[in-house]
Amino acid sequence: MLAKWFERTPSVAPGRDADIEARAKLRIGLPKVLNIWTTHQFWLGFFGALGVPNERVVFSSDTSEEQGREYGRGRGTVDCCYPVKCVSGHYGELIFGQKRKIDILFSPMIYSLDSFLGGHVMESLACPRVMAAPENIRAGFVKERDVFAENGIAYVAPLVSLAEPRLVPRQLHDGLKHVLPGLSLSETEHAVEAGYRALADFNAELRSRSRAILELCASEGRACIMVLARPYHMDAGIGHEVEADLQAHGYPILWAQYFPLDADLMQWMFGADVAAGHIKSPFDIADVWPSSYSANTNEILWGAKVAARIPWITCAIRLTSYECGMDQPTFTPVQQIVERSGTLFFSFQELDSTKPAGSVKIRVETVL
Amino acid sequence: MTIIGLDVGSTTVKAVALANDRVVWRDYQRHGTRQAKKVHEFLGRMHEACGLVPGRDRVFFTGSGAGVIASLVGGKLVQEVVAVAASVEKLHPDVRFVSEIGGEDMKTIFFTASGKGKSKQVYMQSACSGGTGTFIEKTARKLQIPPEALARMPYDGMSLHKVSSKCGIFAEADANTLLKGGVPVEEIIASLFEAVVYQNLATLTKGNTPAPQVLLLGGPNLFFTGLQQAWRHHLAKLWRERGVAPPEGLGPQELVTVPEEALYYAALGCVEIGQGEAENVGVYAGTDRLAWWIDQGQHEEKAEQGAKGLVRGTADLDGFRQRYAGGKAAGAKGAVRSDAALFVGCDFGSTTAKAVVLAPDRELIYSCYVQSKGNPIEDAKALFADLRSAGVGKVAALALTGYGKDLLKDILGADIGVVETVAHARSAIEVFPDADVICDVGGTDVKIMILRQGTVADFRLNSQCSSGNGAFLQGVAERYGIALEDYADKAFAATSMPKLAMGCGVFLQSDIVNQQRKGWTAEEIMASLAAVLPLNVWIYAGQLQNLRAAGRRFVLQGGTHRNLAVVKAQVDFITSKVPDAEVVIHPHSGEAGAIGAALCALEAWDGVSLSRFRGFETIEALEYRTTTSSSTICRWCPVNCKRAFIDVRPPGAKGRPWSKVPVAKGWERVISGNSCPKGLVEDVNEMKVVKADMEERRRVYPNVGEVVRTHAFRRAWAGC
Repeated sequence: MLAKWFERTPSVAPGRDADIEARAKLRIGLPKVLNIWTTHQFWLGFFGALGVPNERVVFSSDTSEEQGREYGRGRGTVDCCYPVKCVSGHYGELIFGQKRKIDILFSPMIYSLDSFLGGHVMESLACPRVMAAPENIRAGFVKERDVFAENGIAYVAPLVSLAEPRLVPRQLHDGLKHVLPGLSLSETEHAVEAGYRALADFNAELRSRSRAILELCASEGRACIMVLARPYHMDAGIGHEVEADLQAHGYPILWAQYFPLDADLMQWMFGADVAAGHIKSPFDIADVWPSSYSANTNEILWGAKVAARIPWITCAIRLTSYECGMDQPTFTPVQQIVERSGTLFFSFQELDSTKPAGSVKIRVETVL
Repeated sequence: MTIIGLDVGSTTVKAVALANDRVVWRDYQRHGTRQAKKVHEFLGRMHEACGLVPGRDRVFFTGSGAGVIASLVGGKLVQEVVAVAASVEKLHPDVRFVSEIGGEDMKTIFFTASGKGKSKQVYMQSACSGGTGTFIEKTARKLQIPPEALARMPYDGMSLHKVSSKCGIFAEADANTLLKGGVPVEEIIASLFEAVVYQNLATLTKGNTPAPQVLLLGGPNLFFTGLQQAWRHHLAKLWRERGVAPPEGLGPQELVTVPEEALYYAALGCVEIGQGEAENVGVYAGTDRLAWWIDQGQHEEKAEQGAKGLVRGTADLDGFRQRYAGGKAAGAKGAVRSDAALFVGCDFGSTTAKAVVLAPDRELIYSCYVQSKGNPIEDAKALFADLRSAGVGKVAALALTGYGKDLLKDILGADIGVVETVAHARSAIEVFPDADVICDVGGTDVKIMILRQGTVADFRLNSQCSSGNGAFLQGVAERYGIALEDYADKAFAATSMPKLAMGCGVFLQSDIVNQQRKGWTAEEIMASLAAVLPLNVWIYAGQLQNLRAAGRRFVLQGGTHRNLAVVKAQVDFITSKVPDAEVVIHPHSGEAGAIGAALCALEAWDGVSLSRFRGFETIEALEYRTTTSSSTICRWCPVNCKRAFIDVRPPGAKGRPWSKVPVAKGWERVISGNSCPKGLVEDVNEMKVVKADMEERRRVYPNVGEVVRTHAFRRAWAGC
């Protein structure tokens, strides 16, 4: 894997040398929150192609109560969504908690996502609350005084429709042209392509790892566990690494987002359903979830169908955060789909700042 | 003319009467949910003391409970925050930030100079208990701290621990965990003060900086010295961080103040606003209509709005009692006369510790329990002293279950530790082999186990929410000063009851306040709480919308089912969903976990092996000491768990001379308060072994999410 990283050298689209040199000195901070958890590589690829080295793209650390207390206190919002509330702490950490100051705080308002179910579902939108979070959180930092300006930081939060690649270059160019010296639209187009490529490569790598896990389980008759959650539940402070406790007892963990999409596997799981006309393709979820507008929700529902069909997935774990309005209507369908085939289902709902350690422990011991 | 300001809050009524710009009367009393009655009494006393004259004098109301009452005596309502702000503006022109914490709400007011005057920004929160007085009192009650001691407990200089700041119910659970881990109550209370201030700053400042001067108002801010200290600590820190320069020569002590009349500011504000109102507003109409409402009106209104009581007439209650009251065995007692080796099962739960003794033929021959004092070793000593005095001699095998099982397994020398769900299922199957569903409602958790062919096929556990559990009912009963044993009789006496909404315990608590306001009595509210419990258990916590699919034969167990009001509500709920259901109560409802553990021990025993049980003398003589300090904080990861080291002295212990908190030979250390296995280890060498083991497991059993965590944010995967 390491070799793969080093074999390619960053290629920078044509731009003036002085501009490129100036960009190479910028530090860009990204809050590691919400849908950044599923678009991470896009941003690294994108900024890398514009001449900002990867090591100068700074992500905030995992969410933690301490981070919220130290950096987010008193900058709260009226939002009831816990993962959104936490964003204040990430902003604060990027502004006040860096040894080397950042120049730009980049917090995209991601309107839609590049989901593998795209084209098979109604839409691949982000949760509206999550999309609007940057505006909501920014308010806590500009209310009395402009904290960004005071700290010499340019705040950039463009709206980005990642499900529609043709719109993205214009959206990002408009957002960044004032802060990245000499940024041209054609250069942005090139960088957006690089971003999608980086994300696709990363996703492919993870899907191949998932496949390796499944093959191991199949060949040795072992069990594995599938997590059905939103991407940001991978954040140790949001999902509390609930699945890691099961991993520690000897179960490999798959996440629905990175399930292998190979044709043979899809045919094996969904071939009969497609042939019978229940669904149009392996990625069609209209049979269980007709209102398929939300990218993350769609992937969870699809994951539930997979968990019910793969014999080595003996248990599915559902994680949802406190007061998640997007997840509420999916509780029963997801559970029923998974349990239909006898797969164990454990749900950890209303997750917030506290790790439900006792409950996890009892469940882990019961599962074992 | 006399102007009266009355502040009718969720727990107290505060009143001031002003004549000729002078306070001539004031009082502050708890109303015990009878708000209208207390107001009536106050007005009566004012009448005697100040000679109130209807038609001449005026009365202004504020507070969450003032709504119905004000109109009955001709009074005008003033919004609470407006009232407080009016007082503050008059009495403290320099104040720029006010925090008023009430029993079940909290408010902040920011005063900002604008032009010649001042602009006010107010924030209020009353939907959740986090950050309010109840938040502290609820936990203090649980820790059995008398109010006077609570008022004196300091914040300064205390080690702080992690306590959930956002919800009283979670905080109580955290406090319980800390206590079990041996953390001193003073430190837990200091941590609660920290949580309250944090919650107020986090939710009610909305990007504003609370600048000096600062005024703290309301009961909790006035009574709790530690809370005042926590405010001073946090505000001073915030001022430093945000570059707010305090006036020269003044420190937090002078800049953050609590006036003596802190309780009366809302009432005083009513008077202040009343003085500016037109003369025909808020004219006191006497107490006749209020008296009518207390005697009749409220009952008429309630009858319109409420539901029928828990029981539908005497025949219904008699039939129910006949069927279920008899099955309530209180647990076997009396002397144990057996020379045979016996099987002991212990359930160390969150609120009680229980032990049962089974004869080799599985007969239950003795049971006992102790209310948990928070220290599992102390609880275990009490339990085993009881067993010994009852005559239990030879122990063939000892099994533990419940939260304390891992901590105590080696210290007591238990043969097996049984996970709670398995213990409860085992116990139910013993009594009802063909049970389909077991519903165990304990002190802090709700477990639903669905059985197929005698094994647990599925189970539901309330992971974060405790609205359906027994502690909530207990807490409400305590608030009304009613003993838990009397709960059912009181609840059955109610002929009607309010309809409470299913769901979060904190919202439920707000709902109760609402119902109090409408005049529902303690008995009626207790009945409705029992009635809402099945909804919380099955639908909210258990997510079992379709009860019929779960089965037909239901077993109810767990301490909460000793409360017949709950059983009645459960039976009615279950039979409404599953008409042919059979609902039975476990004959030893509270001891089911311990019995299950003992049965597991009995079945695992091969008939010859010696028990690892250390013996009654050893446990009785067990010496222990608890340390929590900066040296016990776990430093292995940034979470920094505040661990407690409980050192006990079982025979043959090796000691830990190499530790930062060394223990001599003959002592053994139990570490609690850690949230992951790493925290069980204090030594670097030990750590290496544990870590290597964890790493190896992670390598062999990969987690795709972990790959994202470690690699996705470093470098672009594709060279671009």
